[in-house]
Amino acid sequence: MDDTQAVNALVKRCVAGDTAAWQEIVQQYHRRIYNICYRFSGSPDDASDLTQEVFIKMYRTLATYDTSRAAFMTWVTTVTRNLLVDHFRKGKYDRVTDSLDATAGNQEEGPTLAERLEDPSASPEARVQSQQAQKLVHEALQKLSPELREAVILRDLQDMDYKEIAIVLKIPEGTVKSRINRGRTELARLLQRNYRQVS
Amino acid sequence: MAELNQSGMQCAEFEALVAEALDGALHGSTRAAFESHQRSCPACSLMLEEAKAGMHWLKGLDEAEPPRHLVHNILVHTIGALPSDHPKPVVTKTEGWLDRLKGRLSPVFAPVVTPRFAMSLGMAFFSITMLLSIAGFHVADLRHVDLSSKGIVKAYYSTQARVVRYYENIRLVYEIESRVRDLRKAATPPDKQQPPAANPQPGNDNNQDKEPRKQNYNRGNSSQPVLAGPPRVKGEVKHPVKYVLIPQARLNRRTA
Repeated sequence: MDDTQAVNALVKRCVAGDTAAWQEIVQQYHRRIYNICYRFSGSPDDASDLTQEVFIKMYRTLATYDTSRAAFMTWVTTVTRNLLVDHFRKGKYDRVTDSLDATAGNQEEGPTLAERLEDPSASPEARVQSQQAQKLVHEALQKLSPELREAVILRDLQDMDYKEIAIVLKIPEGTVKSRINRGRTELARLLQRNYRQVS
Repeated sequence: MAELNQSGMQCAEFEALVAEALDGALHGSTRAAFESHQRSCPACSLMLEEAKAGMHWLKGLDEAEPPRHLVHNILVHTIGALPSDHPKPVVTKTEGWLDRLKGRLSPVFAPVVTPRFAMSLGMAFFSITMLLSIAGFHVADLRHVDLSSKGIVKAYYSTQARVVRYYENIRLVYEIESRVRDLRKAATPPDKQQPPAANPQPGNDNNQDKEPRKQNYNRGNSSQPVLAGPPRVKGEVKHPVKYVLIPQARLNRRTA
């Protein structure tokens, strides 16, 4: 039995009322859903609440999942993304429009985002290893528009292929590639305005 | 940027291939044309470099660790149960009946025993207490309540009497009764109405009141109270009848 069949069997058991199957689904997918929510909302607390909401929604609508239409992972991601978009529309997670010249916490003194990134001692990969760099990238990700943010999250953080992303976002594959490209470019510009040499 | 490059590839085509190029999915002539355009177009070359950097930044992000109680919370909110890998409470012989009861009831009431439910319960209790306080009910009054069978019967009859008295004293009831009586009188055809009494009552010379009196009261101007009671029928067994003292003013108001 391959992965797809195993997951489908798990879903069937769950729809039939097997609570152990539901626990297995939660164990298997909570980390992924939490990460999508966290990278999209930017806040661990919001991500936790949103993850719970996603699972509650999944639990109620699990019977509507059609195994012939898409993989379970794609369905789960679609449910997550739709919920995030709903929350975004409510204005809960409005786009932050701070510029690179803004300081942390809007304090008059203190380093700007561009200054904090000016550490030319290492390559981007090496710098991203540090907690501080991770934080800066995460902050920069929140400054992207939701359309670009969700595209790069699904591609670069969740390793989904273009076809799956197109299903989740309900846009053509070409548009997916374009958004991913623009998202990456904008993020790089945000993070290293003064850098032109990237390894 | 939309100019046709010497490689034969437009900037828009180049941009559409950037994602695949970064995935290493370009081969053959497409790859050659892409690389050629990259070399000859500084704007597209810069865009490719930025996209590559952005991808590296994103790929370098670690997976965020979910909170420890996330799975537990999800399961409680969906199926209302604890994960199966959590050890179930073991009932030992040393445990008392209270502990055993707690052990059995806690999974059942797990979805109920939440901060949200506790808050709702607290609010409900507060509201009920306030309503009772406004209504004049005090818990301390319960001490004076006679809960013996005799006391309950007594309380029942006294409450009933109080309700009846209250009902009878409502002016609206008087008015409705009066109207109903008038309507009934108006609806009865004159021929069916009872003929004038053969033996008119002394003191009723003009025969204005043709309806036989069912109540033994005087409508004169006397201000003395009268005794009202049920009419007596010939041949009826006499039972002790309770007479009610009705003030004359009330009678006048009732018949007005």
